[in-house]
Amino acid sequence: MRGRRVLVSGMGSELGSLVASLLEAEPWVGELQGIDVDPPRRRLRTAEFHRVDPSDRERAVELVTRFDPHVLVHVAVWEPDARVNTATAHRLTNDFATSILGGAAECPALEQIVVRSAAEIYGRARNSPSRPDETAPVAPTSEFGRMAARIEATAADVGHRTGVAVGAVRLAPVLGPHVPSPLGRLLRMPAVPFSLLADPPFAVIRDLDAATALVAAARVGLAEPVNVAAPGAITAWQAIRRGRRLALPMVGPEWQLARRLSHLFGAPVPEHVVEALHRGRLIDRGRAQHLLGVTPASSTPEVIDSLYAWPSVVHVTRASLQQRPGAA
Amino acid sequence: MTVSADNARMAQLAVDEWGRDARLIDLLSPVARLRWDVTFADEVRLPAGPALVVVNTRRFALTPIAVAWALGDELERPVRFVGRPDIVPFGPLLRRSGGLLARADEVAGALRDGALVLVGASPGLGAEHVGTIEPEIVGAALRERAPIHVAAVRSSATKRHIGVEIDHALRPGRRRRGPLAEVELAESAQTRLRDLLRGSTGGVADLAAARMALRGSA
Repeated sequence: MRGRRVLVSGMGSELGSLVASLLEAEPWVGELQGIDVDPPRRRLRTAEFHRVDPSDRERAVELVTRFDPHVLVHVAVWEPDARVNTATAHRLTNDFATSILGGAAECPALEQIVVRSAAEIYGRARNSPSRPDETAPVAPTSEFGRMAARIEATAADVGHRTGVAVGAVRLAPVLGPHVPSPLGRLLRMPAVPFSLLADPPFAVIRDLDAATALVAAARVGLAEPVNVAAPGAITAWQAIRRGRRLALPMVGPEWQLARRLSHLFGAPVPEHVVEALHRGRLIDRGRAQHLLGVTPASSTPEVIDSLYAWPSVVHVTRASLQQRPGAA
Repeated sequence: MTVSADNARMAQLAVDEWGRDARLIDLLSPVARLRWDVTFADEVRLPAGPALVVVNTRRFALTPIAVAWALGDELERPVRFVGRPDIVPFGPLLRRSGGLLARADEVAGALRDGALVLVGASPGLGAEHVGTIEPEIVGAALRERAPIHVAAVRSSATKRHIGVEIDHALRPGRRRRGPLAEVELAESAQTRLRDLLRGSTGGVADLAAARMALRGSA
C-alpha cells in the first residue's frame, strides 16, 4: 500500500491545504500533487501544486492524466457565499468536478475517489428526517445541497464506469479559524438574527476534524457515503448567547431584510444557512467511527466557543515571526 | 460570576443531538407535575440500552409527553417520544421536549443512538381504549434489535393521577422473514396492552392495587 500517488483537488482552500498537510504525514502516501485556482493556504513540504483555471479543462485533464493518481481526494467544492457568490461557486464547482473527475476516469492507476460532500445534500423539506443517516434519500433543498448531490452523482458515475471505489464524506458546516464560512461569519456579527418560532438545532465540524475524516476515508478506501459531524448540537439562540452577541429574533418576512442588511455588512447569508437557521441541520454520525476509525476531537458547542475566541485580525509582528518554530 | 459558574451556565446552553433541551424540560417539569401525577405500578425494569415502549393514549391527553417526562425522571435518562409535528411553533417546542417525528427511520436512528423511545398507540376517547400501533415503528425496533415493552397507562380527563405499568419485553411469536414480523408484533403489543388494562393477565404488577391507587387519588 506504500508509495500511493495522491491527487488533492482544491488544495488551495483552507480545508484542501489542511488535507494535504495531513496526507504528507501519512506513511502510505508516496507522491502528492494538488490542483486549485489559488495557491495553498499553508506551508506544504513535499506536495507539488499546480495552479489551474477551472475553465481550462484541457490543462486540468492533462495534469491529472499525466500524474495518474491511485487516489483522488476531491475537495474542490465552493460553498456559496464563502469565498465567492452563489453563481460563481456553482460555476467553479461544476467546472472542476467535470475536469478533475472526468480526467481521473482516464487514469489507469486510479483505485479510489474520495469526494467532499455536505450534509445539505439531504435537504430539509417538511417531514423529512430530522437527523438523516446515510440511507436517507438525497433530496437537496438548497443550491449548496444540489452542488453536493451533483458531485456525488458525477463521482458515482465515474466509479460505475471504471470500477473504482467512491467514498463521499458528507460534512456538517465546516468552521475553523481561517475557513471562510457564511455561517461562521454570520454568527460572529455583533447582532445575529435567529428564528424565534423555530430556533432549530444544528451541528458543525471543525476544519481539522473534517480534514482528518477526508484523509481517513482515503486511507481506509471508503466506498460509500458517510456523515461526519461533531458530537452535540446547538441552536442559533444558544450560539448567540455563548458568543455574547445581540440576538435579533425573526418570525418571517423580515428575514429578507436581515439577509440584505447582513450582506451589506459583509456577511451574506446564502439559502443553505437560512435553511439551517429555520429548519436545523443535524445528521446521524453513528457510522463514521466504524467506517473511518476516527472521531471528531471537538464537540459542536466547543467549535462554537472557539469560533468566538478566534481573533478577527491576527497582527503579525517581527517578534512573533521570530518566535515561530523553525524561524531562522 | 465565577469562571466555573460561567462554564456550567455555558454547558447548559446546548441541546442534545436530537434537539432535546434538558434545561427546558427541567424548567417545565414543575408545571407538568401540577397537571400530572405519574406513578409507576411496579419497579421500572427497562434495559439500560435502546428500547421501544408502546403506550395506550387518550385523545387530547398528551399521554406520551407526560409518561416520557416521568419515565425520564424515574430512570434519570432522556426518554424520547414519537409524534411531534414538523411545523412551527409546536414542532420545534416538542422537539426541545424530546419529540421525534413519527417516521420509522427517525425512530430507528434514535434507537441506534441508544435512546429509550416511547410511542403511543392511536388515541381513543375511553380510558381503556387501545388503538392500533404502527407496524413501521415496531419494525424499526425489530431491525435495530431493540426490545419492545408495552406500558399500560391509566388516566382520566379530570384527574391528575396517571398510573403506569410497564410489562416485560414482548417476544415475537412465529419467526418471520418478511413484513409480517412487525405486523404481528404490533398486533401482539396491542393485545397485550388491552389485557393489561383489563387486568386479564398475570402481569408484573398488581393491577387491582394500581386501580385502587388511581381511584384513591380521585
